[in-house]
Amino acid sequence: MKTVLFAAAAALSVGIITPTLAVERGGTLTFARYDDSTLIDPVYADRNPDIWMVSNLYDTLLRTEADGKTVVPGLASQYKLSDDGLTLSLTLRDNIHFSDGTDVEGKDIVFSLNRAKNPELGPWAGLLGSIDSVTADGKNITIKLKNPDPTIILMMATFNTAIVSKDAFDAATGATDQEKAQAISNADPVGSGPFVLKSHQRGSSMEFVANKHYWRQGEDGKALPYLDGIDFVVIPDDATRILKLQAGEVNAAEFIPFARVAELKADSNINMELFPSTRIIYSPINTREKTADGQDNILASKEARQALNYATNKDALIKLILHGAGKPVTSGLMASTTQLATGTEALYKYDLAKAKELAAKAGIKPGTEISLTTLAGSADDSIIFTALQQMWSQIGVKLSVEQVDGATRGDKNRSGDFDIHTYGWVNDVNDPAQVAGWLGYYPTRKAVGTGWNNPEFNSLYEASNKEINPEKRAEQYAKMQSLYAEEAPLLFMYETPFAVALDNKVKGYVQTPLGSNEFSSTWIDQ
Amino acid sequence: MIPTFFLVMIIIFLLVRLLPGDPAIAMAEAKATEAQIEILRERMGLNEPLWTQFFIFVRNVLTGDLGQSILLKAPVATVIIERLPVTAFLTIYAVLFSIIIAGPLAAIAALNKNKRADILIRGVFQIGLSTPVFYIGLLLLTFLAAFLRWFPVGGYGQTFWEHMYHLLLPALTVALYTSAIIMRNLRSSIIEVIDAEYVQFARAKGLSEGLILWRHVLRNALVSTVTLLGLSIGNLMSGTLVTETVFAVPGVGRLMLEAIFARDYPLIQGLTLTFAVLVSIVFLLTDMIQSWLDPRLRPS
Repeated sequence: MKTVLFAAAAALSVGIITPTLAVERGGTLTFARYDDSTLIDPVYADRNPDIWMVSNLYDTLLRTEADGKTVVPGLASQYKLSDDGLTLSLTLRDNIHFSDGTDVEGKDIVFSLNRAKNPELGPWAGLLGSIDSVTADGKNITIKLKNPDPTIILMMATFNTAIVSKDAFDAATGATDQEKAQAISNADPVGSGPFVLKSHQRGSSMEFVANKHYWRQGEDGKALPYLDGIDFVVIPDDATRILKLQAGEVNAAEFIPFARVAELKADSNINMELFPSTRIIYSPINTREKTADGQDNILASKEARQALNYATNKDALIKLILHGAGKPVTSGLMASTTQLATGTEALYKYDLAKAKELAAKAGIKPGTEISLTTLAGSADDSIIFTALQQMWSQIGVKLSVEQVDGATRGDKNRSGDFDIHTYGWVNDVNDPAQVAGWLGYYPTRKAVGTGWNNPEFNSLYEASNKEINPEKRAEQYAKMQSLYAEEAPLLFMYETPFAVALDNKVKGYVQTPLGSNEFSSTWIDQ
Repeated sequence: MIPTFFLVMIIIFLLVRLLPGDPAIAMAEAKATEAQIEILRERMGLNEPLWTQFFIFVRNVLTGDLGQSILLKAPVATVIIERLPVTAFLTIYAVLFSIIIAGPLAAIAALNKNKRADILIRGVFQIGLSTPVFYIGLLLLTFLAAFLRWFPVGGYGQTFWEHMYHLLLPALTVALYTSAIIMRNLRSSIIEVIDAEYVQFARAKGLSEGLILWRHVLRNALVSTVTLLGLSIGNLMSGTLVTETVFAVPGVGRLMLEAIFARDYPLIQGLTLTFAVLVSIVFLLTDMIQSWLDPRLRPS
């Protein structure tokens, strides 16, 4: 009996260790999306449905591993930053080709990076503001910088620096670069990524096929990708998307509402994945001395903001909205999956006594009116409002709601015409400079519209953007994070994962912390 | 029709700009800096005075240029041409369904006025009328598509027969609501007409009941129903807006919703103009059908 048990255990453990060896090739994956792409181009991708697809069609010089942090070689096999931090040298790999079979050469790199840093074209040029020039000599690429830039290596692994074919752009019809990009996408897509766009019916469906010339190798020693192709269908309605998966019409469905996660987890035919993300849900607090209509703003006081934070039971919010599939914010300035994130404990753990004490200090009297601006039609926001109204009534706050649509909320955020409003964020780049600049650095966007202008934070941020010593930079980031948490220009809420439901046959699919859909190592167990 | 069209252009242009929310901000998905927003505003022509923007808009529309969609980065006209047939297909399909469902049932209900069949038919339709369209859609999807797998869960298909198959449930969903309205109207019209003197005269002539119903009753009762159907084209269109989202049908209804949320001015304008033209055409058709049904309405 013992032997049998042992044999069974051994078989089981082998079974657990070896499935990665049994990679199968071929087949077409069907994937249900919440929204359609418009133009998948490294420079013009400005909405998540575009940005999150770029890496499938275009490769970058460097890459990050699935954690989104560790940099590994990509189209460039080696890279080196000079000691003064002003020159980044890269060497292109041998035998790299575009999907039309032509070689990826120095001229393509120069063209792609110049395009990416041109502020006249896409919205991401500012991220490459430090680049002075890009030159190529055979396989050697030299990027000269105007000033040391600690983000430059990670930027070479970010979607907007992905490599496009110069010849394809030269040959494309169109008067402007954007028209050419559109023409390439519509007519004869040429890319450097694991897949090629084969067809696209706007708002309805999109077809990718494997790029036969792709360079990266799979576990079986042959070129990736494993799949023959991917069919995307656009199903905006959450319930319909799930039905489509349950009916077996698609292999995967993304953006599963958290209320449905437990039900799908219990379904033995479905693999309910919760991928760690850089998404944070928070609410900017207007910290200006006066409100938009000229009244004194009680939220200008740090104590008032801290009181609201202490009076908010984040665990209860997570239970109510995410049905447990999330965690309280620990850094305040970024999701815990971001590089240089500090903090392991939930910020402002629910403490009603402390909240009451701070509220009294800040002069919050019973019946103090505060308004929460929420997104009309958002079920999550309705729950947030109801919960906060109840929680904050304990410290005397009378919370009212103002429901608006996304565009109006954006307007209010920019003009400072709000008390508190719901908001969310997902990083687009791997470096924390983007999110820290957005949430805390006043000159970027008035610290996400809160009007919080802290000279110490601002100068730390400016210094960190030039600091190429990793330890020193990490110290600066630690300081910024503790300062930000203490000052509480936000109501710190929670982090949420990306919820994707797949049928059991689909293996190796990853949605990265930045949201990117990675199909290069996906395979179907036929 | 042409003055209507101009009036619509002015109203649309102004209404769209009365919406709170800056399209440049909506488009930049909140992440852009002030400088980037300014570049966008300039490129989108939003820094021009209002009357210049209107002048450019009218000139472009008259030359057939509806502008470039901000959201989809493609010409508005192209996008509408791609998507319009889908919604047209769905709407016509739904109208046909409505007629097929409402016609016979209205006749049965009217001929059995206040009897069991009448009460049953009216009761069932009352449920159809008071249930939200998206809910009916989800119910049909859950049972007929996901559970029984008789139909696909959403989508549109490639060929004509695939369209018929894919759009059957969405069309039925839209039709359930419309047919309830038509049925009630047609039933009361038939009841009104059935006792009219010319019907009694036809009966006295010895014509069969079927012929009387077809030639004398229905033809006269239909006049007001056709008017109602024409007028409810707006309703039908808004019905497709919700239905297209639930059933993942890539039509102009869903597109309109996306355009409004993104403050895509050119796309909203283009779509509204298209809707205005379509509704005008439907009204014209309604007039023509009415005069065919009722010779008294024909211009002498």
